[in-house]
Amino acid sequence: MSMETKITLTVNGSLVTLEAPPAARLLDVLRERLGLTGTKEGCGEGECGACTVLLDGTPVNACLVAFGQCDGREVTTVEGLGNTAHLTPLQEAMVTEGGAQCGICTPGMLLSAEALLRERPRPTEPEIREAIAGNVCRCTGYQRIVNAVSEAAKKREARA
Amino acid sequence: MSVAGLALHPFSAPKSLDQALALLADRAAKAEKTVLLAGGTDWFVERHVAPPETAGTLPLVVDVSRLDALRGISLDGETLRIGAAATYLEIRRDARVAARCPLLAAMARDVGALQIQARGTLGGNLASGSPAADGVSALAALDATLVLASTRGARRVPLASFYTGYRRSVLAADELIEAIEIALPPEGSPFAWRKVGTRQAQAISKVAFAALAVVAEGRAARLGLGMASVAPTVAFLPATRALGLSRPLATITDADVEQAVLADVSPIDDVRSTAAYRRHVAVRLAQRFFGELRAL
Repeated sequence: MSMETKITLTVNGSLVTLEAPPAARLLDVLRERLGLTGTKEGCGEGECGACTVLLDGTPVNACLVAFGQCDGREVTTVEGLGNTAHLTPLQEAMVTEGGAQCGICTPGMLLSAEALLRERPRPTEPEIREAIAGNVCRCTGYQRIVNAVSEAAKKREARA
Repeated sequence: MSVAGLALHPFSAPKSLDQALALLADRAAKAEKTVLLAGGTDWFVERHVAPPETAGTLPLVVDVSRLDALRGISLDGETLRIGAAATYLEIRRDARVAARCPLLAAMARDVGALQIQARGTLGGNLASGSPAADGVSALAALDATLVLASTRGARRVPLASFYTGYRRSVLAADELIEAIEIALPPEGSPFAWRKVGTRQAQAISKVAFAALAVVAEGRAARLGLGMASVAPTVAFLPATRALGLSRPLATITDADVEQAVLADVSPIDDVRSTAAYRRHVAVRLAQRFFGELRAL
């Protein structure tokens, strides 16, 4: 027996009506039912931040959110930022500053940083480090990511 | 895990507190198990460690995260009321909490990282009953009172009377935690919040320490203490508190504090730390706070 619930939510700007088990993790519903595989599973325990998405604009671990808790809410995944042809200033800065290596942490990192920049267009370095503290990266040593976020803030300002 | 992993769990999202309480009462009467889900920061982790296999014994998951009665933060005179499902992020961003209860704001900034703060709640922290709970330690120091609701009505239970043992409490099967009430100390009252862990973000505490005092004429007129990860429940440090309340602060020595704290804690060796290290840190954290009070 599989119990499913029909819920309407907004994913990357589009209204979506979905039927899925309400206790299922938002992470699995995004990946398996919507094909949004940009959201990665790392630890599955809310420690690593690889599955970070924005829920009503705030970063959350999609492995700790029940699909049934998302009725009427807004979800943004990495697919809701730019794409290869049209990078956002943050994505561009991650490329130019070398903020991405193996790439597993990158989608979650981008969303944590994006939420910070929307709230604080000119973040200080400690603010950047706090904003990405829930996103574990084993490649970069973080400095290049911090540089990228800082660079992105300047790019955003120049484009505004 | 996949979508299928948790597909068997029955789930309910009541629209109001009354609906939720009626559901709880009904299930309790039939001795059926219910799990209240708020931020999911414990529940999903437990499911990840031990995925459910059969449907027969699975409890009903009841989402309480969006019940209006459990949300919000309000100030009524000198009583601060925090909805059980208010998140740490809401708490740390609340101007009244920052101004009137900086201990709580400091704790909320230190729980997990932002993603956890955006989901985690004091109600969940209290109900899961971990002895490592940061939120519960801060509430212990604040001598908080819990508002427990059921169809039988609401009752107020001091946090000090809430736990009966490791992850056990007086919360009945038909009850939920609706809110936390804190009798606010005067503005500027000395406090301490110190979380000792492996790293600043995300780490579960090796030891966490919360303290609050109201000092007049060299004596503590009010003293609240809470310590995580040093006992089967969050510790209230009763001997240390009695020491602080019973004598002029200037006469309390580091040796007195050490003796009291060691009588109050019973830490264990586990994956995060050792009993010996925890005892050492517990004593030092308390000594530092008493030192600050003496220097006032």
